[in-house]
Amino acid sequence: MLSAETFKRGLHKGLFTLWEMTKIVIPVYLAVTFFKYTPVLDWIIKACAPLMHLFGLSGEAAVPLVLGNVLNLYAAIGAITSLHLSSREITILAIMLLISHNLLVESAVSGRTGVNALAMGGFRLGLSFLCGALLNLLL
Amino acid sequence: MQWEAFAGEALHGSLHNIWMMAGIIIPVMLVLEIGRDLHILDRITVFVAPALRFFGLSRQATFPLVVGLIFGIAYGAGVIIEAARSGQISWRDLLLVNLFLSACHAIVEDTALFIALGADPWIILGGRFLLAVVLTYLVSRMGRLAVRTSQAGAKSSGTGSPG
Repeated sequence: MLSAETFKRGLHKGLFTLWEMTKIVIPVYLAVTFFKYTPVLDWIIKACAPLMHLFGLSGEAAVPLVLGNVLNLYAAIGAITSLHLSSREITILAIMLLISHNLLVESAVSGRTGVNALAMGGFRLGLSFLCGALLNLLL
Repeated sequence: MQWEAFAGEALHGSLHNIWMMAGIIIPVMLVLEIGRDLHILDRITVFVAPALRFFGLSRQATFPLVVGLIFGIAYGAGVIIEAARSGQISWRDLLLVNLFLSACHAIVEDTALFIALGADPWIILGGRFLLAVVLTYLVSRMGRLAVRTSQAGAKSSGTGSPG
């Protein structure tokens, strides 16, 4: 049954998650914004451009892609908001990141359910690359 | 290095980020909690269980799949680990549930965040769901898997559960 307790719990969880997200999103956002003002981001963009081109993404999209897969979606979101990507790029990036993210943690969790953790992580990364390339052709 | 421009963008962008996240995450958590207290999860489970026979999934696999689909892998896996430990769920079911969830999970929170960033809702929601259905169907029809059944008990010696 619904009660005032329901809303209190929802609000509490919302604020708690917001705080957890802020602790990750803001530092990543600040770091990426900082590197935008230095030559470092340009180096990364140039190095990643050929691979990102496969997905119809600009080189800078490599930053949220790597952060999202190694860390988590919140880190990827922090990076995305600092960069200037088109809505087409954001859609492709979103599909890729929603399929594979937080791989170190989530693969370990999947491993605990009885499937091979490494295979699951590799599979998700491969699937995300495949879908990125496919969307690039379709959109 | 243009420090002033950086400071301006950093401050403005940070506040904008927090504002955007608050607008998404607080309503999402409220909806999830309301759904929990109205036992919507049980109703969804009853509703989708027949559809999952399409993959040859047992009833025991339905709940973990629905939890993972709505809340995410960590929660879904917590429920799967429990089911595996009690030996209720076959190895084939475990693989299919993991496969489905790998393509499509946490459809409320994660999707809402990316829609707020400007992604196309139909593509990121419908696309992932379609992908998960096709993938799971294809694998469920693989001959070796159709034969290989209950081995879940063998994997159930873990201690504790992931957060």
